[in-house]
Amino acid sequence: MLRRIALIILLVAITISVHGQDKQPITFFLTFVPNIQFAPIYVAIEKGYFAEAGIELTLEHGDEPDGVNLIAAGERQFGMISGEQVIAARANGRPVVSVYEWFQKYPIGIVVADDSGIESPADLRGRTVGIPGAFGASYTGLIALLTANELTEADIQLESIGFNAPQVFCLGGVEAAVVYVNNEPTQIERLAQRGECGAVRGVRVFNVSDYADMVSNGIITNEDTIADDPELVARFIIGFHNGVTLALNNPAEAYLMSLPYVDSLPRDPALMAALQAEADLDYDQGIGEYEEPGEGRAAVLERLRVAVPDVDWVQMEILIDTAQLWDALTPGSSDLESWQTTQDILVSMGIVSAPIDLENAFTNAFQPIG
Amino acid sequence: MHIHTALKRPTPHPSKTNPTQSARAPRHLLRQAAPIIGIGLFLFIWQAVVWLRLYPEFIIPSPAAVASRFVDVLLDGRLWLHTSTTALQIILGFALGATLAISVGYVVAKSLVFEAIVSPIFIAIQSTPVVAYAPLLVIWFGSGAASKVITSALIVFFPLLLNTVVGVRSVPNDQRDVMRLLNASRWQIFWQLEVPAALPILLGGLKVSATLAVIGAVVGEFVSAKAGLGYLIERADYDFDTPLVFVAIVMLALLARVMYGAVAWVERRVLRWRVK
Repeated sequence: MLRRIALIILLVAITISVHGQDKQPITFFLTFVPNIQFAPIYVAIEKGYFAEAGIELTLEHGDEPDGVNLIAAGERQFGMISGEQVIAARANGRPVVSVYEWFQKYPIGIVVADDSGIESPADLRGRTVGIPGAFGASYTGLIALLTANELTEADIQLESIGFNAPQVFCLGGVEAAVVYVNNEPTQIERLAQRGECGAVRGVRVFNVSDYADMVSNGIITNEDTIADDPELVARFIIGFHNGVTLALNNPAEAYLMSLPYVDSLPRDPALMAALQAEADLDYDQGIGEYEEPGEGRAAVLERLRVAVPDVDWVQMEILIDTAQLWDALTPGSSDLESWQTTQDILVSMGIVSAPIDLENAFTNAFQPIG
Repeated sequence: MHIHTALKRPTPHPSKTNPTQSARAPRHLLRQAAPIIGIGLFLFIWQAVVWLRLYPEFIIPSPAAVASRFVDVLLDGRLWLHTSTTALQIILGFALGATLAISVGYVVAKSLVFEAIVSPIFIAIQSTPVVAYAPLLVIWFGSGAASKVITSALIVFFPLLLNTVVGVRSVPNDQRDVMRLLNASRWQIFWQLEVPAALPILLGGLKVSATLAVIGAVVGEFVSAKAGLGYLIERADYDFDTPLVFVAIVMLALLARVMYGAVAWVERRVLRWRVK
């Protein structure tokens, strides 16, 4: 089976431009709302990577469980779902499989004010901690972080605050908040810089990924699609992977490619001109100059801030912080150990009553070659 | 002459004809059995959908799977915890919304100027879906019960306000004139004329508002909660526990039915004097 899939991937990679004429309509389920964090997808559409792969892509947003149910029922072929959801779904009879781990680091963390006296996660004992709700990646990440620091949920005062962490945190409603490390901390810092975050002047973030290697957001499909149309899975991943690669290597162009999809992105003319100038740089003149791509992306942001200092670059900052979560030597692949760590957490939380066979929950067979 | 003797409430008339026992009994039994027949039919259709495999069982679980999950959460205490949390929020929200709506509605009914001032504000609030401002309520009033009670009260407020205005303004002018001719005080006009005249419409509005209060509390729990049936639905959804989602929905339906039934019982007691 694996050899067959590898051969399919090779054939798809060689002949993909020939097949670009016949496009298969596919709806890609995404969570949250249109956002700069989905830049690789927008890049892949705008640059024609999906079209070259013979796919005419439509995007759809909704709640994660709805996406899982649609994919499990065969109503959709692909979705962007967090890894722990795959385990919980399979444990409850839904035949979904992760085929590309997009986020290589778990994106959840806990933000605190830097003068709160909370120097480590262990100091969260007795403190109020806000969370969107006791479900999903936020809750799983929180429990993983607490467990790694020999704490339990009973040791903190957990407050359900919806998706309002920056506002509630700045109003002093909670002393800490469970957040996506690439998003809310940046927003809170921006509010603090403007003096709109109460007594908060700076923040500190405890990343779950520093304490537990868990599987995170990735592309999932269903068992029937893998069995009946592995070529489609391979083509889809190639298109997406190319989008991720470009977004990692040219975040300025990724921002520009995202504009038609994310209404809230700033479009100041000076900002646009600065982004285009960065986007036009050769890789070797930009990110490629740096040993660590992360340093190169940070340098891009710094140049943009210098070029246009009067613009709020928070969305670009979110994109670059998010890119850090995707970056890896082998983007898209995941390992059994991280799946096992995630399942252990879910079993301890009672979300999964008994361990499942994790070998069937994911596959690296569709990883792009090269 | 006392006002209350001049405008005595009409006594119920006895039935003009009594249908024979044999003709009335089957219809009466059918009426009594109708809800049970309806529920039975609903369960049969539900089970038929499962037997026919029209949807995967993780989308529509069988009635037996839902019943089994119901027993699980009943025995482990979660059903009582979440149901009682939502019930309390519903009752408080209904009470708050109804009190405000009836009080403000009376003033609106009596003062065209006041109506002109507040109507645009109330219409704007009512036109905005409660899901749009529920997150703001969490920020302003915290993630505890207060935001859910207020969400529930807001959703109850406007329909009941309208009912109150219509009810108070439905008092026939000739009866007001009679009261005034008899030198009735404002309190007497209010208590012995306006209240009885407005009650039928008001109680009809309260029945509708009682079910709306359920919606408001659940919406508040969807946004932010640590307990409650709305929270349980969201938690079960993310845990892919579809039978538990169904259990929570059934409990919400029962709560709404109880709220409606309670107001209907009050209505029957209070309006006994009305001619059928």
